[in-house]
Amino acid sequence: MDVSVSRSGGIGGLRLVWEVDLDREPDRESWEVLLHDIPWDEVPPAPPEPDRFIYRIRCEPHEATLAERQVTGPWRELVDRVRARSEPRRAASGPRRAR
Amino acid sequence: MTRMRHAIVPPYLLARIAAVADERYPIAADAARRSLVRDAPVREWRLRGELPPFAHDRLPSVLPDAPSSPDRRISDAQGSETLPGRLVRREGQPATGDDAVDEAYDGLGDTHRMFDRVFGRDSIDGTGMPLEATVHYGDRYDNAFWDGERMVFGDGDGEIFSGFTNSISVIGHELAHGVTERTANLRYQGQSGALNEHVSDVFGALVEQYTLGQDAGAATWLIGEGIFTDAVEGRALRSMLEPGTAYDDDVLGRDPQPAHYDDYIQTREDNGGVHLNSGIPNRAFALAATALGGFAWEHMGRIWYATLTSGRLAVDTGFHRFAGETVRAASERFGADSRETRAVREAWAAVGVAPEEV
Repeated sequence: MDVSVSRSGGIGGLRLVWEVDLDREPDRESWEVLLHDIPWDEVPPAPPEPDRFIYRIRCEPHEATLAERQVTGPWRELVDRVRARSEPRRAASGPRRAR
Repeated sequence: MTRMRHAIVPPYLLARIAAVADERYPIAADAARRSLVRDAPVREWRLRGELPPFAHDRLPSVLPDAPSSPDRRISDAQGSETLPGRLVRREGQPATGDDAVDEAYDGLGDTHRMFDRVFGRDSIDGTGMPLEATVHYGDRYDNAFWDGERMVFGDGDGEIFSGFTNSISVIGHELAHGVTERTANLRYQGQSGALNEHVSDVFGALVEQYTLGQDAGAATWLIGEGIFTDAVEGRALRSMLEPGTAYDDDVLGRDPQPAHYDDYIQTREDNGGVHLNSGIPNRAFALAATALGGFAWEHMGRIWYATLTSGRLAVDTGFHRFAGETVRAASERFGADSRETRAVREAWAAVGVAPEEV
């Protein structure tokens, strides 16, 4: 089971993706406790703010998109933990264009 | 800023502009004076065949032109994500010695001065609202943003980003988000979002050019020059003149900005690619400005400011409507057959955007 955090936006518009494969984590149980607390379906829509980050967080079958200022509580704990456990991959925000 | 400035206007000409142009071209005279003041020591060192003994070309703290009257308040988040943080420098207080604090203070002053002296706008709201900024936000925080009340600057991670206050264009970009919010209020999504980003890049670049006394040909047209560490293969976050060429780095990848409407990027990320598709109008602006030559804030800046504040832009304005409004603003100010209006039309055509008739 994978947890992925994609961060886009920011003044640079640079997208980063962090992914953790829970099957390879030594403390899978504590991840599951944390994931159990995530209010996947209770994220209110937030108006976009200039240059702020946007987080798309996924753990099958769940997915949620959060404005930076909504990443608090268990969300923040999850994001910080995923970031601490993986190196970010830089991903294009759109399809690569041929030149 | 570590880049050497290219002095394209010879000193004798600057002196002449400063001396005689006052009545008809007060802003050109002002820019010439500030350029003379700034460049004087550099010229002396150059005459002696030496490099100037400083790495960062900062402006002198006292300029001969009449200053504007900003009300700046710089706070320090001290590495936390709590806003506003501790107030560390108010208007008129001396430099603190903390680079981020003093760069934010100076950059906000430069931005205020351009909006005030060129466009007659006193601060973000036009009525002298305090300019509030927080620096040292977060832990190795890789961003700068406008939160509706203040400009917020991170220190960067030290590996890719070296901090966000050392680029005037970034500071101007953030303040301009405040101006857009108070005027056209372009919705930060899709095309209107890319236009919101574009307007911030325009005024960010113009602040840098105005502060350095650069004409359109001498300007870099880069946004965020100097915020990458030396490890990054790149010049800046974006190039307005050549979108897609600002960086090409092993870690960062290649600058993904499109330069033509045919390459408009549809994506769910970044509010619909607002920081990507802004490359298209950015290039139109820079093309027209460089075709016209001279100081971009004098012609293109005025056209874009008039467009932004015309009251004619809907919050969800798209590229074609916006282009039409810039043609209208250019015609109103300079005449329908003026070279300014022609330059605007040709620039939009060059990026594949046909201005709507408005």
